[in-house]
Amino acid sequence: MIFPVAHYLWLAALICVRCLLINSICISQVKRILLIFISECREVENIKKPFSPPREVHVQVTHSMPPPKVDLFKSLDDWAEKNILVHLKDVEKCWQASDYLPDPASEGFEEQVKELRERSKEIPDDYFVVLVGDMITEEALPTYQTMLNTLDGVRDETGASLTSWAVWTRAWTAEENRHGDLLNKYLYLSGRVDMRQIEKTIQYLIGSGMDPRTENSPYLGFIYTSFQERATFISHGNTARLAKEHGDMKLAQICGTIAADEKRHETAYTKIVEKLFEIDPNDTVLALADMMRKKISMPAHLMYDGQDDNLFENFSAVAQRLGVYTAKDYADILEFLVARWNVEKLTGLSGEGHKAQDYVCGLAPRIRRLEERAQGRAKQASTAPFSWIFGREILL
Amino acid sequence: MAAVSATCVRFGTSLNQSTKLNQIAGTSTSLKPVAVGWARRGFPSLRTSHFRISCAAKPETVQKVCDIVRKQLALPAETELTPASKFSELGADSLDTVEIVMELEEAFSISVEEESSQNISSVQEAADLIDKLVQKKSEA
Repeated sequence: MIFPVAHYLWLAALICVRCLLINSICISQVKRILLIFISECREVENIKKPFSPPREVHVQVTHSMPPPKVDLFKSLDDWAEKNILVHLKDVEKCWQASDYLPDPASEGFEEQVKELRERSKEIPDDYFVVLVGDMITEEALPTYQTMLNTLDGVRDETGASLTSWAVWTRAWTAEENRHGDLLNKYLYLSGRVDMRQIEKTIQYLIGSGMDPRTENSPYLGFIYTSFQERATFISHGNTARLAKEHGDMKLAQICGTIAADEKRHETAYTKIVEKLFEIDPNDTVLALADMMRKKISMPAHLMYDGQDDNLFENFSAVAQRLGVYTAKDYADILEFLVARWNVEKLTGLSGEGHKAQDYVCGLAPRIRRLEERAQGRAKQASTAPFSWIFGREILL
Repeated sequence: MAAVSATCVRFGTSLNQSTKLNQIAGTSTSLKPVAVGWARRGFPSLRTSHFRISCAAKPETVQKVCDIVRKQLALPAETELTPASKFSELGADSLDTVEIVMELEEAFSISVEEESSQNISSVQEAADLIDKLVQKKSEA
């Protein structure tokens, strides 16, 4: 799934005056810089009254795609059926959470749980913080299905619409649903985390929703999802690798399986955008530049656990430190997509289109340079407690 | 609507500057004893915040900042660039602003702290902060 992976947006910009009051938790300057840029943390308002989840403060723009374009997507319904739905997997052939968890109906259940818990003991707290953040992101799936259904021309009008787009959205949601289920059950059985705090965080997050600033436009929407799916693919791939390093092969398999789903979804979404570049290169490149300027916001950036006003920032910092998802990854994804969609070779662009093309093609190197320079600075060590692991402190 | 907001922005900027001027004016009397101190001790330790605020950025600093900003934002020669110019008004996005601050750090061999960087939104603010940091550095 796209969003789940904590989109630990890293690159930060020393942005001039935003609403966010990032409180006194001292993350190193470098980390703060990196986080803020892409994370949009800055654009979130921390309401002054205590114990409130953050909310979006940017003006929420709607329906920026002109109505004639809506017909374009209707006319692509056949194409979508033949080219996009093929990336869905038949339910009968799909893995289910039970395939990767102790079987409660078997004699060996308790033994299997014991083994699971033994392996989990060897995994450090900071890894669990990142895994929990990922799981919470996955569990906020209602928000993402909603987001897809805000898009003009492709939304599921009834909840059971038979357009290819609607079929895709529901099936995609169903596939993603397994991710949160699997991670939830694993974390529950592991005994390493405070499930109640996690459950609370999920409830807050679904209640908060998110505005990815896709403005009801499928151009913006599918560019966003392309980016996100790749991001989750990378992130889950990293948690799989780390789980292996910590000796938990089953967890590695779990994360790897989820990553494989994400890859398949990435293929589908990037194909849609590739088609849009083919039939409408100018507006598509403008859309790409627009999303990159607004920065790809993280699906779980409004996360809140009832205690920590900087929860997302802290979580992202840990994800960056562990190498699960970093500023470099953000740049890499952008570069990948620019290549995948052949943005450099686009022709027939307007003046604005050329500017957008230049911006997009030049952006990844700029981000990398920024990240390199930021890395080269001395970092102050700081920690933060995470309620997800019973208030224990984690190095940021 | 646009006209109104532009006016507001300008007003805000001049208010800022006049505040700074007030602070300068307000502390002018306190400069005398310090001046005496200079004669005795050579370069004074610039520890009082009053003194720091009263030092408006040197023209060379402002010029250097302008050059860097102009280059970063690829501003055409006709574009007017004054100390009061706000980066956002010049078309800088957040990435541009970070890059500008990093260029300034390299050009002046200083390090900008997170808290200070939040206040850099115009050429003047950048120049003021730079001079402050350069002075601090030379004291150390």
